[in-house]
Amino acid sequence: MQEVVLAIAGSGGDGVITAGDFITKSAARKGLYAFMLKSYGPQIRGGESSARIRVSAEPIYSQGDYVDVLAVFSWKDFKRFTDEIEVRENAVVLYDDADKTPLEAVPIPPEKKARFVGVPFKRLASEELKVPLAKNMVLLGVLARLLNLPIDALKDSVMQKFGRKRPEAAEVNIKAIDLGARWVEENLPEGIPYRLEAEGGEPKLVMTGNDALAFGAIHAGVKFYSGYPITPASPILEFLARELPRFGGAVIQTEDELAAAAMAIGASWAGARAMTASSGPGISLKQEAIGLAAMAEIPLVVVNVQRTGPSTGIPSKTEQADLFQAIGGTHGDAPRVVLAPADVEDNFQVAVEAFYLAEKYQLPVYILSDQFVAERSETVDEAVLFARERAIARKLPSEAELGEEYARYKLTEDGVSPMAVPGMKGGQHYISGLEHNEKGWPSSSGTLHQVMSEKRARKLPLIAEEAGFVRIYGDGDAELAVLAWGSSKGAVREAVERARKQGMKVKAIVPQLLFPVPARALDEALKGVERALVVELSFTAQFYRYLRAFYDGLPKETYSYARAGGNPLRVDEVLAAIAEHYGKKVEA
Amino acid sequence: MEKVKLTAKDYKTQIPIVWCPGCGDFGVLAAIQQAVADLQIPPEKLGVVSGIGCSSRIPGYINAYGFNSIHGRPLPIATGAKVANPELTMLVAGGDGDGYSIGTNHFVHAIRRNPDLTYIVMDNRIYGLTKGQVSPTTPTGDVTKTTPSGNPERPLNPLALALELGATYIAQGFSGNVKHLKELIKKGIAHKGFALINVLSPCVTFRGKQEYDYVRDHGVYLEDTDHDPSDWNAAHEVTQWMLTKNQVPLGILYQVEGRKTLADEIAEVQERARAKKVYRDVRELIEQFR
Repeated sequence: MQEVVLAIAGSGGDGVITAGDFITKSAARKGLYAFMLKSYGPQIRGGESSARIRVSAEPIYSQGDYVDVLAVFSWKDFKRFTDEIEVRENAVVLYDDADKTPLEAVPIPPEKKARFVGVPFKRLASEELKVPLAKNMVLLGVLARLLNLPIDALKDSVMQKFGRKRPEAAEVNIKAIDLGARWVEENLPEGIPYRLEAEGGEPKLVMTGNDALAFGAIHAGVKFYSGYPITPASPILEFLARELPRFGGAVIQTEDELAAAAMAIGASWAGARAMTASSGPGISLKQEAIGLAAMAEIPLVVVNVQRTGPSTGIPSKTEQADLFQAIGGTHGDAPRVVLAPADVEDNFQVAVEAFYLAEKYQLPVYILSDQFVAERSETVDEAVLFARERAIARKLPSEAELGEEYARYKLTEDGVSPMAVPGMKGGQHYISGLEHNEKGWPSSSGTLHQVMSEKRARKLPLIAEEAGFVRIYGDGDAELAVLAWGSSKGAVREAVERARKQGMKVKAIVPQLLFPVPARALDEALKGVERALVVELSFTAQFYRYLRAFYDGLPKETYSYARAGGNPLRVDEVLAAIAEHYGKKVEA
Repeated sequence: MEKVKLTAKDYKTQIPIVWCPGCGDFGVLAAIQQAVADLQIPPEKLGVVSGIGCSSRIPGYINAYGFNSIHGRPLPIATGAKVANPELTMLVAGGDGDGYSIGTNHFVHAIRRNPDLTYIVMDNRIYGLTKGQVSPTTPTGDVTKTTPSGNPERPLNPLALALELGATYIAQGFSGNVKHLKELIKKGIAHKGFALINVLSPCVTFRGKQEYDYVRDHGVYLEDTDHDPSDWNAAHEVTQWMLTKNQVPLGILYQVEGRKTLADEIAEVQERARAKKVYRDVRELIEQFR
């Protein structure tokens, strides 16, 4: 097999996520591709948790629709994830034989014809090692031997984590891995059908989307970050709190979301590259400040790690339903930019792009990430991270422009005016959220409001023309194009690949820049396309409706596949939608 | 080249002033301009951040980097700016509605964080810009447009609140005494850390000229008493004078030096973080992902 999808379910103390992390890390060390999705119950400690890991010799873009091998520490905990974890027909299910639930009663339907294997994870850890907590490492040994995962890389990962600081923990864990592997040799010598046959390549990195975004922000020169804790955006705050001070930057955890946005605006006004992040509920609170950044033309990067809404929604689950808020939120005609990362490494690049655009055009730039693309771990190629270089700079006034006549909001062809920064002699001026003339003086003139609205809006067509913001995957002469954004890219890209293997001429078009619409690049991408299908995780099909309203180039036949978030898109549902609209039946 | 001495005139701007004739804020504006001139703060090194309200128009009238922001948020905006550029002298200005109602959360946490800002609240005990509604400092019983039968609520006591929260410079001034107010502002700017200057700045339009008389009749200058501003308990007594003695304390109620500012804390955090690990290049962050 070239790839395997496995899932581990248990309770918080079972070390499920740790086990998943080790598998992902060891795959990366071996140069394989890996993709890990974590899922938790609402309890902070001791609740249910699951890790779903896909390992492959070839590049992968999604979580994998069906699980080949499932490991369950407790059936009670697994029950919570039946909505998310569906096993493949003939899957192998390893379960801790300490759980005496009769197999007829477990939540895996008989038609799946799963092969159940009871394994004494708990007993081996408690009796042989005297460390009951090591049962997750016993499981790792079992999985490594069964699936042909790189066992040496696995041990290297354990040594990397514990070796220096806690050598005794490293020793126990390595013993546990050996114990699990030996148990397979003694009890399952014939193995299972899901054996990974893959040669690795160059070692890869493993990171989460949130970490990639925060790293990208530091790479882009962020010097000030203010944020308020919120799921699933807090890891950005935590990463920056740890790393940004080492680069001379400051991180402030604010009293509320309003202060977080306001402080970042203040820091940017004073000349620092500044960012704030949150998720839907917090972004709702930041709206007023974002309008201020638009009106006063202050560069600002705002990250929204979308979660299921409205209101508190499902804090730990993904959705793409904050698009309308991003493009239309805050009152008035407020120019802004909306960018969206489509996978983990893209978070890094989008962070760089966000600072590039915010500083160049002096406006607020949203990064619309989401829980799926932010919290999952993925293998990343180091070279890809730094592939695109951007010169990030703010337009400052020249010596001649300073002095009595300095005009902060000077009317220019591109709408961008030289921005004097506090400390700059002769650049003193007054700014506000009030409508204003070129010098920043408040005005109630409707005529001036028209002129200044035009000035601020002049930036948008230029941003839409910036190159490199639309990705295309698939056939150049596609009959059908799938339009998707953000984390939907993964399932869409794989669905397009599978459709092509079935003889369909299709491609995926994934804009990284959502607002303003990169119309020319989309026109180019849609040239010759007969039908389009817009795919997204939004119950009201926000992306579809947005494109209908803001973009004139859609083919006459444009369809929507949209559903509520919570669970990420699956390749098979996208493939079915492609097949339906392509006009051909998919061969099973 | 000989340095030209800056005078209050150098801090004036051409933007037309929109305040009503007799507004207390004129006195505050004059006091600020004289204070920064006395301290010879170059206009380009001066930041003035305000929120929304009549008094929040003040940055427009001062030759500096002025930012008339959004309602209730001048403290976080000024905090961010001060962190980004610690060399700036940062004044924060606003009214009682801005600071003690919609912005109270930031007032509380700014004191806790102790950024080196001078916060001048022009307290007129009314919402003036919106034409006369009750404010968080309007006295109980007063008739306003939104309390036609008299204000049923107790006013907030910003001096007591600031003292309780650990502010290290708390003063009260009167816009009718520019000379005295100027000194409070100068000392507030010189103070290392968060300085609160509550200024009784009457709104003649919605509260009448008698507001001036009230402060003149009931004002007690603390420097004329034996009040010791370093004595927290004594300061607490003074914050209650309006209630206990129907007196308005004017001057420095409380001041202690030596508490770490936000800038000190950030510098220490940076030092501690670097003691654990130093990167020569941003790209080295990649190591943690191997």
